[in-house]
Amino acid sequence: MIEVRKLSQTFQTAKGPLTVLTDVNLEIPQGDFVAVIGRSGAGKSTFLRTLNGLLIPTTGSVVVNGTDITRLPKRELQKYRRTVGFIFQQFNLVNRLSTLDNVLHGRLGYLPTWRGLLGLYNEVDYRIARQQLERVDLAAKENARVDSLSGGQQQRVAIARAMAQQPTLMLADEPAANLDPVLSEEVMRTLKRFNEQDGVTVVINIHALDLALKYAKRIVAFKRGRLVFDGPPAQLSEDMVDDLYERKEMLA
Amino acid sequence: MTELLLYALLGAGLAVLAGVAKGSMRRWVIGAGLASLVVFAAFPFSRARGFLSRDTVDPTLLALMPTFPLLALIPVGVLVALVLARRGGKAAGLGGALGGVLVMVAAAGWYAQPVQMVRLFPVEGLMELILALGVAGSIALLTFGRPRQRGPLLLGAVVAGVLTFMWFHAPQGGGAYLPKSLGYYKLLFPTAPTTQQEIADAYNRALPELNAIRKELGQDALKPIQSLADLQGAIPQQASSEGYRLVQPATTQYGAFAVFFLAGLMLGAGLMQLRNARLQEPDDWRAGILIALVVSFLIPAFDATEFDLNKLVVGWPFLQQFADKAWPPLLADSSAERYPLQEVLSQIAVTVQMALVGTFLAAIFATPLSFLAARNVTSGSPLMRSVFYLTRLFLNVLRGVPTLIIALILVAAVGLGPFAGVMAIAIHSMTELGKLYSEAIENADKGPVEALESTGASGVNVVRWAILPQVLPLFVSYTIYNFEINFRSSLVLGLVGAGGIGYFINEKMASGQYDQMIVGVIAIVIVVNIIDFASSWLRSRLV
Repeated sequence: MIEVRKLSQTFQTAKGPLTVLTDVNLEIPQGDFVAVIGRSGAGKSTFLRTLNGLLIPTTGSVVVNGTDITRLPKRELQKYRRTVGFIFQQFNLVNRLSTLDNVLHGRLGYLPTWRGLLGLYNEVDYRIARQQLERVDLAAKENARVDSLSGGQQQRVAIARAMAQQPTLMLADEPAANLDPVLSEEVMRTLKRFNEQDGVTVVINIHALDLALKYAKRIVAFKRGRLVFDGPPAQLSEDMVDDLYERKEMLA
Repeated sequence: MTELLLYALLGAGLAVLAGVAKGSMRRWVIGAGLASLVVFAAFPFSRARGFLSRDTVDPTLLALMPTFPLLALIPVGVLVALVLARRGGKAAGLGGALGGVLVMVAAAGWYAQPVQMVRLFPVEGLMELILALGVAGSIALLTFGRPRQRGPLLLGAVVAGVLTFMWFHAPQGGGAYLPKSLGYYKLLFPTAPTTQQEIADAYNRALPELNAIRKELGQDALKPIQSLADLQGAIPQQASSEGYRLVQPATTQYGAFAVFFLAGLMLGAGLMQLRNARLQEPDDWRAGILIALVVSFLIPAFDATEFDLNKLVVGWPFLQQFADKAWPPLLADSSAERYPLQEVLSQIAVTVQMALVGTFLAAIFATPLSFLAARNVTSGSPLMRSVFYLTRLFLNVLRGVPTLIIALILVAAVGLGPFAGVMAIAIHSMTELGKLYSEAIENADKGPVEALESTGASGVNVVRWAILPQVLPLFVSYTIYNFEINFRSSLVLGLVGAGGIGYFINEKMASGQYDQMIVGVIAIVIVVNIIDFASSWLRSRLV
């Protein structure tokens, strides 16, 4: 259970303060599949990064199972983060390492620092990593260098890395934006499978509206930093979408 | 005088060549004009002698203006050229030609002047003002990087400027450390004929005494003079200490060559633009300012480094003699039990080994330091931040000391031999590699860092797994390149006694055994090329 309360985020930029999120309130129960939609710059990425503590909000809190994770000390925050998978638009893999090494990175949060430094993973870590690689159909590529894989395969490695954390929450920031339509569907199906089989809560930023409507159980929409819609896909009317993407204004 | 006109012709010739190639002429008019202003105000043009050689003053054109007001035509001419350059086209061409002629006429007019007595008038506060402006200006430059702190920075610049001026001007301040600088800029004023006569009379009165001394030294007696123009050599001591100097228009300083060259350039460029009004471009002002800046720094630099091709001509016989004695190289002479090739090979090996050990040690120490000196790795806490600044400061300060200086100090401490060289290379390379490594770390892709942070990995593990794999190939590449540089610097280190082939060459050079020395030189050329080739091949395979 994630409770987002009165969340606001303001960045100090060279041109003065820039407010990205204003008073966002939201509850996400365990096992939900939430698609966050909105135009570029609406605050989607900031929202997602606040959920795993990569960003600290200016005001407000994110309460996960009773603890406010925005004010955690460093060690506690690391402990929280290992239960949260994060998938990036640019995959953010370490290109010079092998597929297996990258997936094993998902286990670093569970190791003592010195073992992590030396790469001394436990048997169980290897087993989990290989299992996840198998689930994304890349078991045969475990020794290949990541930069020799295709874009779709790289994103699957990134998903396996996030799943190797055995997360209870999976965050995905435009995971399909760099992929072609077929691969996009594949990534969405993979996330859906994890959501259904493992009971992982999924929160995903996406601007491909058709994919959001097809796979998500719930749609959350941001416009200029404010939450403007929250409900099942069926309730999202055409007018609301037009308003969200400011289509009429753009045509005028 | 003919030499000066040659310089003018050279300037004009260059302009004509550039004009024939359809380059913008206006930029040369602007550049030469602005540079002429710098020369007018700041470059020594002529010479004024006192009693002792240290009394000599090299006045600028501006300083000579009170004595010879026609020199005012120079700034006027330049101004005309610059104003007309703004209008462009034929007008700019006319301005260039007119300005060039005016400058040349005024400067040439100076050489028609007689030898004459002048009085110095030091301009108080001028050097202080220039220094203060320099200090304030460099602080004000910071506002480019920090536009939000413009107000306080400008205020700081003004305060620093005023403080600098006051410190420098105070007799116990700058005056005590830089005694020559206060009142360094001196204007030359003409003296009345009566004053000149008084000085001449004083000279004549002191003559018997002077001649008595000269007789003891075995020198010829000097004759009494009618006017100061008859003076041979120095002016009387009394007059000199009162600030009188004898100006000799015929004595030229480098500013004179610069003025004629620039005037020729202006004239030539102006005429070329008169012929073809389209020889101009929109960015001529910027280019002109750049030309003026380069010229104003380059001309004094040539003078200061005593650049003189004539010396090469004079020294030619030595070069010939050297070549005669050096060729053919002496590889071995078993009758005299001398084996230079053998020695060269083992010394080259020592030099390579010095570079190897030095580079290795440098890489070992630079690696941890570079992480501490990387901004993105040390942003965690205020403690890390201060470690970052300290490491940066340490590396920057130490990097300022050249390898050769470190070697000189170490030779004094640990004695002659390769060990001093190795340590010098290690210390200096550590600072160079530390900088290169830390830049590689700062430029590493942030994506993997963010990804590993979000898996809950601890800080050191993020560095180990997200940054290190990215930068390691770069580290290796930089280290190989550094080895290449270190091999060359270990050659030079031999000259200060830190062993290796450099020491061998120095020794053979000093004892005139050029035929043995040349063996070392040839070996160096070969090995340097092998190492360069191998290093670039290795590095191209890596990245």
